[in-house]
Amino acid sequence: MGRAISRRELAGFLGLGLAGLARGAGAAPRPPQSRGRVGLASLRPGAGGGPLDSAAAERAVSAALVACTGLATVRDAVAALFAAEDTVGVKVNCLAGRGLSPRPELVGAFAALLRQRGIPPHRIIVFDRSSRELSRAGFTVRRDGGDFLCYGIDNDYDREPSTSGEIGSCFARLVSTTCSALVSFGVVKDHDLSGVSAGLKNLYGLIHNPNKYHDHNCDPYVADVLNHPFVRGTLRLVILDGVTAQCHGGPACRPDAVWPLGLVAASTDPVAADAWAWRVIDAERQRRGMPSLEAAGRPPRFLVTAARYGLGVGDPAGIVEVRA
Amino acid sequence: MSDGMNRRQLAVVACAGAAAALLPRRGDATPPAVGAPVPPDDLPAREASWYKKLPEGRVECQLCPRGCQVADAERGGCGVRENRGGVYNTLVHSLACTVHLDPIEKKPFFHVLPGSQALSYATAGCTVECKFCQNWEISQFRPEQVAATYLPPEALARIARDNGAPLLSATYSEPVVFWEYVRDTAIEGRKLGLRSTVVSNGYIQEKPLKEVLPSLVAMKVDLKAFSERFYKEIIRGELKPVLKSIETIKASGTWLEIVVLLVPGLNDSEDEVRALTRWVKTNLGSEVPLHLTRFHPTYRLTNLPPTPLETLERAWQIAKAEGLAFAYLGNVPGHPGENTVCPGCGGQLIRRVGFQVMENRLANGRCPSCARAIPGVWS
Repeated sequence: MGRAISRRELAGFLGLGLAGLARGAGAAPRPPQSRGRVGLASLRPGAGGGPLDSAAAERAVSAALVACTGLATVRDAVAALFAAEDTVGVKVNCLAGRGLSPRPELVGAFAALLRQRGIPPHRIIVFDRSSRELSRAGFTVRRDGGDFLCYGIDNDYDREPSTSGEIGSCFARLVSTTCSALVSFGVVKDHDLSGVSAGLKNLYGLIHNPNKYHDHNCDPYVADVLNHPFVRGTLRLVILDGVTAQCHGGPACRPDAVWPLGLVAASTDPVAADAWAWRVIDAERQRRGMPSLEAAGRPPRFLVTAARYGLGVGDPAGIVEVRA
Repeated sequence: MSDGMNRRQLAVVACAGAAAALLPRRGDATPPAVGAPVPPDDLPAREASWYKKLPEGRVECQLCPRGCQVADAERGGCGVRENRGGVYNTLVHSLACTVHLDPIEKKPFFHVLPGSQALSYATAGCTVECKFCQNWEISQFRPEQVAATYLPPEALARIARDNGAPLLSATYSEPVVFWEYVRDTAIEGRKLGLRSTVVSNGYIQEKPLKEVLPSLVAMKVDLKAFSERFYKEIIRGELKPVLKSIETIKASGTWLEIVVLLVPGLNDSEDEVRALTRWVKTNLGSEVPLHLTRFHPTYRLTNLPPTPLETLERAWQIAKAEGLAFAYLGNVPGHPGENTVCPGCGGQLIRRVGFQVMENRLANGRCPSCARAIPGVWS
């Protein structure tokens, strides 16, 4: 070992382990050590930009979960991550509208896996900052009925702020109060200030005042949101819709910077998922003759901080891609 | 609260109710939309006045010194300005989340029409994030998160006039974030013979400040501390631009008062108070009112005690010893530090208790005993 492990990092390792134990209550198999591991499954965009084939979407999400957990079946993977008693919040990032948001077909496929785990539809909550954004991205907003619930935070935040590192924010009550498990379901895109917007920047949608925390490439603020007990204690999984991705001009959708990455990514290491996104965005930028994110002045510094907090692997070089 | 309504929602509802009560009664010419609640998911946007366009659809805000460069679909740090396809918009013009009739002493202005009412208004948002913000439930939220009433400038001016208030005051949150609304309201108010004031943190670029100052009769600046470290760690802002704004206001001829909230252990040392008061005297003169006010724990600084009275009194003595003619104490109702005393003869000119003027002996802006001119806006 090159250096002694800090108490904070040790606590981080222990925390991840304990979270695994808690969620695996019962006989469900637990994922092996998954730090730095990102599972990838291929999925081509729908013909002519249309919707994905639902069976293909479910296969891809399942394969990515198997790959990221290293377990034998998707049933084992989901059982290792979620208990039947969980209330699962699935935070999607719909800021960019229909062109660059998690596809409803993929989110629906994931919700189906949760139902197969025994989690009833009313305890699967797909959400974003506002119902309006969800609608614009193609989701059907509903507070009852259907295969899962889907609605915006719509200003339902805690009454008092709480502090984590540099941030002081009111968290969505969905996160602080309602859900026992959280999934960040993001996209793979460039962000004008943070560098990368994938699974972690998506978490800014959990707090009431993200606009206050965009200085210095959003560092350490993104890591501080992730490190808050509401998030750190419940975030089980990151899934990224990388069927198409965007290498420049984010966070809004910019068609000339979108390319067909053709992947669904999943990781139980939330930092690694973003580090992977950084790697593929930079690779595409290089292919197009564009400067790297770092050279462009927006390296996702928050990944280094998140790694320092012991929350995962933030170095793109340390990512282990496991293809289904 | 049993109905689940939080303090922020309650405050907003109360304010909306107060605004409705202040509005002209039905039957006058007020368009139906005025005074109506604004749907949070459909905020009316209008192009901002101070920004420049950058390549690739980005914009640079030129309102506050932060100078946010904002990509499409994103907002500036204030949370109330949004880039929509390369056009920077304000999302708070005419969207008042708070409207009250306040005594002008509450701002506090002690040298502006004592005992007058000011129609006070605010929108959501702020340029900084003070950890001790008393109004964080509107200043630290985005406009769609705070219930607002549609009150365009002409409506605000009419409300003030119809309620006998000679003053308009942009206050509570941070008027810089709704600077276009401030400007337009001041213009409309002037048409009705009203005068406009602003209560601000002074964190604003010079150009927008200079453009609006001629429309204002007075501006109060919260000088949060006299150290960059405090501004960085507690405010998430910068001291230097604030000092520059204060000098700009003073030079403009718009009446200026300064407030310093003394936070225990953070900005209340004798050295800092002395340095601050010396700066005021050196750069602004000895006759700018300086209000030293008491901190009460709130928002993210609930761990600190209220400012001890002895700390306030020590600061007050320092300010007077440094030669400031109009040093006041705030948030200590009934204290002699609330009164205006003639620097010439020492006679008491205006006696206050809290926000109430109990006695005003000024005669045409002069001490009735020694005839010394007292600076301010008295008529």
